[in-house]
Amino acid sequence: MSIVQALLEQVQSEVERAGHPGRVVALHLVIGRLSGVHVDAIRFGFDVLSSDSIAAGAALYIECPKARCHCAACGGEREIDEIVIGCPDCGSAAITIRGGQELLLQSIELEE
Amino acid sequence: MKIVAAKKILKANDQLASENRAEFAREGVLCVNLVGSPGCGKTTLLEAVFAQLAPTLSPSVIEGDIAGQVDAERMERIGIPVVQINTDGMCHLEASMIAAAAQGIDLKNVDMLWIENVGNLVCTAGYDLGEHLRIVVLSTAEGDDKLIKYPAIFQRSDALVITKTDLLPYLNFDVAQARAGMQRLAPEARVFEVSATTGHGVAELVQWLVEKQAAARD
Repeated sequence: MSIVQALLEQVQSEVERAGHPGRVVALHLVIGRLSGVHVDAIRFGFDVLSSDSIAAGAALYIECPKARCHCAACGGEREIDEIVIGCPDCGSAAITIRGGQELLLQSIELEE
Repeated sequence: MKIVAAKKILKANDQLASENRAEFAREGVLCVNLVGSPGCGKTTLLEAVFAQLAPTLSPSVIEGDIAGQVDAERMERIGIPVVQINTDGMCHLEASMIAAAAQGIDLKNVDMLWIENVGNLVCTAGYDLGEHLRIVVLSTAEGDDKLIKYPAIFQRSDALVITKTDLLPYLNFDVAQARAGMQRLAPEARVFEVSATTGHGVAELVQWLVEKQAAARD
């Protein structure tokens, strides 16, 4: 819920800064698969909290990118959609994880 | 018309957290965020640590709970400057709450500010409060599989303190397993085994904290 609250405050501030009078028709979010944030919980929170906000009635589009796991031991590179503690191929702990942890307000669509 | 924001949703929290961290550093105060499940022994650990920190270092505490003053009263009883935050239902603390609560601490006269977070292994992982160190507490009674089940909080901590080691003879907790799990999730993190009841392991933890505080001061 507090993530949705932060999101709605952010939308309010972005729209005020843009100075555009139109209604908010859609929000585009990026929530990485490893962010620990549950998309269903965000949708639920948004349904509950948005009706009193500038984003009332807006559609919510959420992109959920995977992370990339690179292994220094076997050289493997793999997409992962949950936290791993070792390389999915060889089990080594010598892994680097890139991406997949985003929690972004990507863009706001306003009525013309 | 499209506004491209491309902004972290928790950017406001992160910014405030950075401001908190800088403020504490300016005052020479080491800030520690203490997280762990309800009942894992956070407050009892603080009591044991503070008994050995004096007179070398002066700690202060911000207590975070859904309701009540129970933990703040325990700190007052041992003479530690404390502010209690009641979140009224929120399951974690945020940087804005710390900024407000820190106004009630005389930062010029303390060396450390501990934040005892709301008992929670989940949401606390996502909120930077402005701390310099994050310590996660896991008691032997909770099971050694929590690092697999709740990886984020362990991955984002600087130390794991395994508490209630005096109960090991009565439980199935595999300390080696927990240590190995922490090594994989956070290879740079320290692991301490402590019993606040018997005092076992407390001195080693205190030694590490004293070193960290000295390094932060310089």
